[in-house]
Amino acid sequence: MCKIEKIIFFASVVALFITSCNKAPVNQTISDFATEEQTVINDFVNNVALGQYSNLTNAAVSLNGSIITLNSSITETNLNSARTAWRNIRNTWEQSEGFLFGPVEDNDYDPNTDTWPTDYTQIDSLLSSSNPLEVSDIADLPQSLRGYHPLEYVIFGHGEGRSATELTPRLLKYALNLSADILYNNVQPLYQSWSSAPTNYAQEVLTAGNGSTKFGKRQDLFLAINGAMSDICEEVGEGKMLEPFIAKDSGITESPYSNNTLSDFKNNIIGVRNVYLGLNGGAGLKDLVALKNKSLDNQIQSQLNAAISSFDNITVSYEQAIYDQRTLVQQTITQINTLKELLDEDLHDFILTNVKD
Amino acid sequence: MCNKASVFSDNGYDIRLSGGDATIFDATSHALTNPVNGLNTRDLHAHEVGDKAFEQVFVAAPALLFAGLGPVFNNISCINCHRNDGEGIPTAGFSNSGLLMRISLPGTDANGGPLAVPGFGGQLQDQAVLGSQPEVHVNINYSNVPITYPDGLVVNLRQPVYEVVSPYTTLPPNCMYSPRLAPPVVGMGLLELIPESTILSFQDPNDANNDGIRGKANYVYDVYTKQKQLGRFGWKSNTAFLLTQVATAYQQDMGLTSYVQPFESAAGQSQMNGVPVNNKPELADTILNATTFYVKTLAVPARRDINDPDVQRGEYFFKQLNCTGCHQPTVQTGVDLTMPLLSNQRIHPYTDLLVHDMGPGLADGRPDYLAGGADWRTAPLWGIGLLEKANGVPYFLHDGRARTLEEAILWHGGEAQNAKNQFMQLSKADRDRLIKFIQSL
Repeated sequence: MCKIEKIIFFASVVALFITSCNKAPVNQTISDFATEEQTVINDFVNNVALGQYSNLTNAAVSLNGSIITLNSSITETNLNSARTAWRNIRNTWEQSEGFLFGPVEDNDYDPNTDTWPTDYTQIDSLLSSSNPLEVSDIADLPQSLRGYHPLEYVIFGHGEGRSATELTPRLLKYALNLSADILYNNVQPLYQSWSSAPTNYAQEVLTAGNGSTKFGKRQDLFLAINGAMSDICEEVGEGKMLEPFIAKDSGITESPYSNNTLSDFKNNIIGVRNVYLGLNGGAGLKDLVALKNKSLDNQIQSQLNAAISSFDNITVSYEQAIYDQRTLVQQTITQINTLKELLDEDLHDFILTNVKD
Repeated sequence: MCNKASVFSDNGYDIRLSGGDATIFDATSHALTNPVNGLNTRDLHAHEVGDKAFEQVFVAAPALLFAGLGPVFNNISCINCHRNDGEGIPTAGFSNSGLLMRISLPGTDANGGPLAVPGFGGQLQDQAVLGSQPEVHVNINYSNVPITYPDGLVVNLRQPVYEVVSPYTTLPPNCMYSPRLAPPVVGMGLLELIPESTILSFQDPNDANNDGIRGKANYVYDVYTKQKQLGRFGWKSNTAFLLTQVATAYQQDMGLTSYVQPFESAAGQSQMNGVPVNNKPELADTILNATTFYVKTLAVPARRDINDPDVQRGEYFFKQLNCTGCHQPTVQTGVDLTMPLLSNQRIHPYTDLLVHDMGPGLADGRPDYLAGGADWRTAPLWGIGLLEKANGVPYFLHDGRARTLEEAILWHGGEAQNAKNQFMQLSKADRDRLIKFIQSL
């Protein structure tokens, strides 16, 4: 290097240094990003997870209350109220499946309440047996005889539907304690496992990368959150929607007695959006992504909206749509699969690249 | 030109790739649930069909869908025991139980296997569809076994005591029992592809190298091929092929017949009264094949923290103590032309697939083909550090008695007595390092 070149080189380095100094925010940005990570975690725990599980508890209380009312006064009005309460809790539950990790998996609250298919043959045997059908008896039953779907079978009925006059004392007792089993043995313990000792899972999430025994790094947590979002997209797009669609069989949809299946699916994807955007004005993953890659954030938000709104194009129940509106069903499946790819590839890579602590 | 392949050094290989090409980088709670990367569209679809089948709950016949559960069973789906494709919970008779009890009489059957107990068969089913009676109930209690290290620290192990009660008919008094916990199911396709000659080469029947470790291949009768084959799967290497393993689990654990296992587990028993007679297999061939394919193509999670000095030091001790005498770190798979992603892979399963005498502390006293009453198969260790994430609470050993890896090590005896003794001689810090290494697998 000749002398003049050295001078230019030196000047360039100085210039670069000064420019960098003027920009300055490198360290600032790192600390902003880390702060934002914690904000997103805090708001995920408080607004999304605890918020949704608290809503779920309230919905389970209402459901149980509506069945108690039905049990004491068997009228069509009370039966309809029970059905509404059932649909309400399904909305909240399916949305909470946007973050299906932690105690909901570890303690079996998911299979205890949301196992499918219902076991008609055994339900008939159960009802004609001498089983007392108390809450503790329900809790001892196989999972295919517990939870939302056997309750759905009781209050909605199969085929022609069920009228209040068909509700026998045994059916009512089964319904009553199914709803109590959902509330007392599953939904309440699920909320408590997040909110209080001994599990205090909320604390495990809040302290990710900072003393948590479950998430040694924040990156682990964000990958788990993203993995859960992707998994529910896969379950809906490649399983729950696709199978009845390919088989052209409305008998294998998720909530066939209530025709609530389409709503189940949509709420699953709304659950993903809740996690990504955050709830109640709190921060969500979007805020983290937007700090570094606004274009990716735009892409994910727009794909979330496209997937969710595509459900509204389907104008009949899913049980009917798999025969009558196949193109629309296929379009929704495609939108969900595209969303899943975005999460699996782009958002996954974003987390690996940017969440280092 | 033909060059004879020789053993390659570790240089140039990424040691994180526990399953070779069939490794996946995922350390979340779903780390054990991923397909092998690179499956073609058709194979991926087969894997996904199998995934659904693995999670599918079965119900009592008659029903339009998924009928055939029972009449007696241990659980109602694969995933209820192999939780998140990991292991089971060591309880019996509950909806989330993952422990079952094998049973036999002294002597052997016509094929050299365990002698079935009249009225009970070779496995106790402790649940039943409504209207039928479970074969038994199993109660599990634990007693405390304190172990003191030379440095004075004490670890409390728990010794299980099993009580088999409420048999539906008389149980012979001389029955032998063997509890078995549902194990993780990753990497099974790779284990199936390890050449028989490789596994046999790990045997040292006369302990020629004087390290106290012999190891034995178990040859077992395979119900599908109707031949004696090398056993690879199960806690005593008592099953030769994945297809048979999966079909037998459907039949014995769930009461579902198939083309491989066409008879009900309760055939000839009173629980069959009232069950609709159906001579067709309850499980569609496609479902059995897809579930088998699913298990075969589950990827092995990659190792973590390999540059952590404590992990590296722990690995040094793992070798130094000759844990590798049974837990073979590196094996090469053979070739299956239909499974290129599993073929010819340099894998790190940390098992020799042999059975070893593990001492009286772990013995069940129930022989299983060539495996004796104190013999257990070397458990693969890949993915073991992720069990806590996958399952919430991890359990180790054939009956889940160990709650930590440390407890599992301290239960080792027999051929592993030397390794255990040396482990106990290490300082607390070095013991922790060795465990940290195992956690990185």
